[in-house]
Amino acid sequence: MKKVGVYICECGPNIADNVDIERILASVSSMEESEGIEIVAKPYKLLCSGEGQEYLKEEIETNQLTHLVIGACSPRDHNSTFINVCKQTRLNPYLYKLINIREHCAWIVHDKEKATDKAIQYIRGGIRRVLYQSELHEKKLDINPDVLVIGGGIAGIEAALCLAGPERRVFLVEKSDKLGGKAAEWGSLLPRQAGGVKAIQDKIGQTEANTGIQVITKTRVNNIIGFLGNFEAELCQVDDPETTTDLTVGAIVVATGFRLNEVSSLPEFKSADSDEVYTTLDVERMLKEKGQVALQTGEKPKSVALIFCAGREKVGYCSQICCSTTIKIARQIKEQNPETAVKCFIRDLCLPHKDDQAFYQQARDLGVEFVRVQTVKSDGVGVHYTCMDQSNGTEKFDMVILAPAMEPAEGTTELSEILGIPLHETGFYEEAHQTINPVATATDGIFVAGTARGPGGVTATLNQAQAVAGKIMVQLIPGEQIVPEVKVSEILEAFCMGCKTCLDVCHYGAIVFDEDKGISVVKEAVCRGCGNCVGSCPSGAIQLKHFTKPQLYQEVIEALR
Amino acid sequence: MSDGSQVLIIGAGIAGMEASLMLSRTGRKVYLIEKLPLIGGKVIKNEESFPNLECSTCMVAPIQQAVLQDPNIETLTLTTVEKIEGEAGHFTVSVLKKARYVKMADCIGCGMCYDPCPVSLDNEWEENLGKRKAIYVPTAGSLPNVPSIDSLQCLKLSGQKECSACVEACMFGAIDLTEKDKKLDIEVGTIIIATGSDLYDVAQLSRLGYGKYPGVYTSMEFERLFASNGPTSGELTMRDSEHQPKSVAIVHCVGREELGYCSGVCCLYSFKHAHFLKHKLGDVAVYNLYTDICVPDKTHQKFVESIREETQLVFYTEPTELSVDKKDGMLCVNYLDASGGKKSINVEMVILAPAMVPGKDTKKLAKIAGIGLDDKGFLAVDGDGLGTVETGKKGIFIAGCAVGPGDIQNSVIQAESAVSKVMSTFLSEVS
Repeated sequence: MKKVGVYICECGPNIADNVDIERILASVSSMEESEGIEIVAKPYKLLCSGEGQEYLKEEIETNQLTHLVIGACSPRDHNSTFINVCKQTRLNPYLYKLINIREHCAWIVHDKEKATDKAIQYIRGGIRRVLYQSELHEKKLDINPDVLVIGGGIAGIEAALCLAGPERRVFLVEKSDKLGGKAAEWGSLLPRQAGGVKAIQDKIGQTEANTGIQVITKTRVNNIIGFLGNFEAELCQVDDPETTTDLTVGAIVVATGFRLNEVSSLPEFKSADSDEVYTTLDVERMLKEKGQVALQTGEKPKSVALIFCAGREKVGYCSQICCSTTIKIARQIKEQNPETAVKCFIRDLCLPHKDDQAFYQQARDLGVEFVRVQTVKSDGVGVHYTCMDQSNGTEKFDMVILAPAMEPAEGTTELSEILGIPLHETGFYEEAHQTINPVATATDGIFVAGTARGPGGVTATLNQAQAVAGKIMVQLIPGEQIVPEVKVSEILEAFCMGCKTCLDVCHYGAIVFDEDKGISVVKEAVCRGCGNCVGSCPSGAIQLKHFTKPQLYQEVIEALR
Repeated sequence: MSDGSQVLIIGAGIAGMEASLMLSRTGRKVYLIEKLPLIGGKVIKNEESFPNLECSTCMVAPIQQAVLQDPNIETLTLTTVEKIEGEAGHFTVSVLKKARYVKMADCIGCGMCYDPCPVSLDNEWEENLGKRKAIYVPTAGSLPNVPSIDSLQCLKLSGQKECSACVEACMFGAIDLTEKDKKLDIEVGTIIIATGSDLYDVAQLSRLGYGKYPGVYTSMEFERLFASNGPTSGELTMRDSEHQPKSVAIVHCVGREELGYCSGVCCLYSFKHAHFLKHKLGDVAVYNLYTDICVPDKTHQKFVESIREETQLVFYTEPTELSVDKKDGMLCVNYLDASGGKKSINVEMVILAPAMVPGKDTKKLAKIAGIGLDDKGFLAVDGDGLGTVETGKKGIFIAGCAVGPGDIQNSVIQAESAVSKVMSTFLSEVS
């Protein structure tokens, strides 16, 4: 015989003064006969207190309760409190329900009779629901603490250095033949990053020397399956895709970096190969190689135009770091050749780091000219612009340098599909939560750092790589187990007709298709219990554990009475 | 007795809370120190945050709850750090825990003690736009949901008069006026400083009329006006009347020239404010006066574009020349346009977006910790140009707006980075 314990908390005056608890208890008790169950219904002063929790434990054991319903405050306040109480008894915590009769009744319905009527409906609904709830058992899974880092640029290197240790190996996979990515191509960094060029080289050296990090170059990722703590990755060689290697890891870090927007293909910046038109990346390489900026003839330019935000309208976002780095290039040219006229055509300056503005001011003091424009176009080395006061201008320069937008690296779309993680509409990887979970992705265990997740500079990239390391270090502790979510979806085989609608709506890659059986299957360890698939299934084959349709229906019947 | 694994985190804003929850997962004991009576920092002062205009309180409440219920995290509110001695692995931190005068274990937050209190004063958390009592929580929804008593204002505690109105009103006997401030010595292995920032005091710029004209607001004052749990329950009514403004000028870059840096977030929240105004008031003319529009993240430009139609963008130059005065009952914002010509806009309300500056206790705390400040007064990052959260002192890390202006995402990333540094502090590299 089912025996439901129903405890109504007085919550001081909060509930007791605003609802008639005795009437609730009476109504609840009358369900014994109508539902054929045993009910123990009692009030209590303050259930969340230490004494209250002890009282509940005793009540559960003494009365041999099979189910528990508590009428009290918001689950946000004390759901976990009462779950913990159940865990200390033989009552499975998934056979309990907390009904909010404080915020939902006592505090908002000012007529005591009406508040009591509402509370009665809620509690009776809760009792009906709880009778349809099932025991759920949390499982513990062993985890693999090792990490796969995809991309051997500064983000991947930093993540690898932070993570590698005696109990955690890192596999650092890089598609080119060397480490360092774009950052290793800069001959100089910003003044606030002074010493950074050497530091980057040192990090590359440390990575290669670290026996906890296995560097695998000329290799890319073919396939990934699994979940946090238990991923299987298939790698293949870039020039011999048939040669594959398998790895098992617990977490994956995507650090595949960026490329620059193909600004030369934009109609606003027409140029021929013979024109002295360069991107900022071309100039960085030139400066690193030759130490100075020179024309194709080898001569130094007498006038240089730097065009900021080239192609920004096309991509629809600011690339955060180009203002600073283009100012850096302008300064270097001016410092090396004070007679050279250096003119920067700027839109809104993006100088969000606390040291950036002073750097810009110093460039001005050195004689770099800054012209604020509304629009700017270039035709070879001719620059045509409209100023903020609507006046137009045209000038010819010896050299034009374009500062293009940053875009996600080549192959990002393909890799995101292999990993099963979504891209933001800008094409960069999408964060789990833009504000409060910015280096995780929709799939637990897959993280992203550096310019793969959005434009930024070296410092921001390092910060993100370290943040990813921090998240992995606390989630995958060598030797410890993880407890996956139990309130997950399950697909009833008999009802699934294999339409695959659920695969489309699952944001977390938690559903796979069993080709042999022709049905969808939920990967429980990946499922977050969001319920999207439940709503999408035309056969009604999917249910969400602890939120099944019968359970929800029972609550709703009372509400409609 | 500390085994070196305990961590002390100073500041229970978003960075401090995130770091504490991460470290708790590893089984480490965390002491989370907060000078205010509530946790949550500045994020909870904004009802909605850019770029998604998500409810900040909803976003942060689960984090606050998790912190307060976490068995490994000992949250010490009304607490400040007085001394830090020792070194990585063996720091001894002396803190002053001010008396709350309300027992946290007994109080259920029913709020019956507020009405009877005879003392009413400006609520500084609500930017002095609303009132509070001597026994108070800073705002509805404060966590911990337990009031504290302002001992300088309480008649009994300040020795002015015998009064026990709150004691009598409390049916749980939770109020204890005999509680004393406590000094505690805490032994930890590492420290994370995440004490956040403040806004530049715009009263220092007399040309802007703040304090002189009631219609001139700071951005934070406006946030509290807009907030549904704020002093006006979200009604956008002006401070000297119940009037709702028909025209508002939002001024970006306040203090930028004086301080010499862009704060990176004010453009975004200023456009957010334009959206709030249009959304709540409908018939209102809004102007955003800016020198540069700073939208550094991949999501920001689209956010600003979505709000673009709701305001008039006004480009201005020479920020130190912008002034606000009063003419014919309206506020007059005088500025220089692109060609240096003098222009002005007449409005009923002005919202100033001031620079982010280091929190006022940053200097003192840096001295206590033996770490450096940069030339702007923020905590200085160490580390051959590529430092992120390290200080010059092993075992002490910094995160969030105490290091420099930034948005919530930036604070979270730095907090997570600081956690990785804490975890690695005593590990030696495999070589």
